[in-house]
Amino acid sequence: MKLLVCVKQVPDSEAHLLINQEGSWIAHEDKTAFRMNRFDEFALEEALLIRDQNSHDEKISIDAISVGPPRVSFTLKKAMAMGVDEGIHILEDQDRYMSPFDTASLIASYAKKKGYDLILAGVMAEDDMHCLVGQFIAEILEYPCATSVIHQKIINDNEIYVEREIETGRRICLQLNLPAVLTIQSGINAPRYPSLSNVIRAKDQKIVPIDAQKLRIREKREELISLSYPEPSSKGLILDGTQREKAQALLRIMHEKSFIS
Amino acid sequence: MEAPIAVIAEQSGGVIQPVTYEAVSFAAELGQKLDRKVQVVILGKSVGVPAKQIAEKTGTHVIAIESEQLDLYNGEVYRAAALKALETFDPSYICLPHTATGFDLAPRLASCLNASCITAVEKMRTREGNIRFIRSVFNGKLRAEMAPATAGVVLTILPGAWPPFEIHPESKGSAHIIRTDFASAASRTMKIKESEKGKLNLGDAEVIISAGRGIRNPENLHLLEQLAKIFPKSALGSSKGACDLGWLGYERQIGVTGQTVSPRLYIACGISGAVQHLSGMKGSQIIVGINSDPDASIFTVADYGIVENLETFIPTLLEEFRHFSASS
Repeated sequence: MKLLVCVKQVPDSEAHLLINQEGSWIAHEDKTAFRMNRFDEFALEEALLIRDQNSHDEKISIDAISVGPPRVSFTLKKAMAMGVDEGIHILEDQDRYMSPFDTASLIASYAKKKGYDLILAGVMAEDDMHCLVGQFIAEILEYPCATSVIHQKIINDNEIYVEREIETGRRICLQLNLPAVLTIQSGINAPRYPSLSNVIRAKDQKIVPIDAQKLRIREKREELISLSYPEPSSKGLILDGTQREKAQALLRIMHEKSFIS
Repeated sequence: MEAPIAVIAEQSGGVIQPVTYEAVSFAAELGQKLDRKVQVVILGKSVGVPAKQIAEKTGTHVIAIESEQLDLYNGEVYRAAALKALETFDPSYICLPHTATGFDLAPRLASCLNASCITAVEKMRTREGNIRFIRSVFNGKLRAEMAPATAGVVLTILPGAWPPFEIHPESKGSAHIIRTDFASAASRTMKIKESEKGKLNLGDAEVIISAGRGIRNPENLHLLEQLAKIFPKSALGSSKGACDLGWLGYERQIGVTGQTVSPRLYIACGISGAVQHLSGMKGSQIIVGINSDPDASIFTVADYGIVENLETFIPTLLEEFRHFSASS
């Protein structure tokens, strides 16, 4: 069985983010920290669990794939350190925003005819928050797809059972024929830390580079026109002063509103 | 006049979900800008009654597709059904609510129609005659203005961003029901299971102290517990992120896939303020946000914002509270 996991490298959204001069995406400074999209970490862990749970079976291989400029190789190395067999880097020379459709068509173009039985991705990317890439890959490859997956079990060689998490925590239960695409919801598992042996193995292992220009590029779809900072909230009051002054101010407010006496 | 703007209604067991009317509001606003009507599509096993309800309430023409195979949501069958309804009027704008169903179906339709897909739309704006759709990125820290590069576009509308459609229509609208069957799909929906998250009703609490990933260490939860103690009728809540890390049980999760709460006071500790969380708590009477990141989007909804490290701020607050209650 062959698994493919889509991993995206994203800027750490807890850091301060600056919009670039053209307003076309964020400015990447030397100190910008990048990491693997958290939702993709859950997808990756789920692939590793499928391999762990079926170790008695035939050999299960897991590839990780990522689209982006050279820095993306660090995220692929992390995936390899977590335990994937091969890292595939669809190399884009420009460091720019890519629409979900652009990303999906590159991945689908690579994955076509490679015989993957299951393609996994996070339910969304933390940076552009679109929730689209997995479904687009499935549509292009004409595979069935389940989004927001919170539980999965391979039933036999050609079927998988999944539960999708929907509003209020309810679950839609369905079966899909393989090959299929799943987008994984956070909380499905607890992503592992890279093991020392895998870190050492990953160090020497080569990443497979693929030139994005050589893949089938489809017509542009959704476009990002510009980024902006949110308008400051009109109603909110940011308390100022020292930590102690802020604490006193908050207590006064709580008292005035009769929350504390 | 060009083809009407399509709204795909969301129903569950024949009950129209309120987000449907928010999507209709969005479509009506877009229709005003473009001088186009709105037409609604509803899909399900037996949707004649809800189709008429929508028609009467919105004054639009509603196309209902009925089939046994549309009983429970299945992406492939719903895609085929939606396309069948859409081909009757060939809309270039198709709107769905941004729900687990909406964001599942939207890209499938966009793909079949060679259309663009823009999700979780919060605002729209016209610039030099072009309509732009605005949505949150980076956990709400930045806004992105998007536009389709194609003639057709499928949009999902963020719940809560538009009010439900409440304009009294001039006409009673109309409903057209098509009964049909679909080819068998490569996936089969079997059933819907109720939430496995334990039941803990946070709705009774007057004050909710909520923890996010930004508390950084589960050991800091005791600070939140101590803070909760100074309020009568208080409870601990959590963001999905903190539940995913195992710091709190899912029975405390607030947000889209957890509980929706509206206490008198909501104190968000180390919560960044992702839209999925905000939609579960923004009805709270007073919101206090404590976060060390001044750009955190929780501050866009907070009535009172405190930019501090909660590991030192909460102990100071508790100490001041002891002085305060001793003196009063």
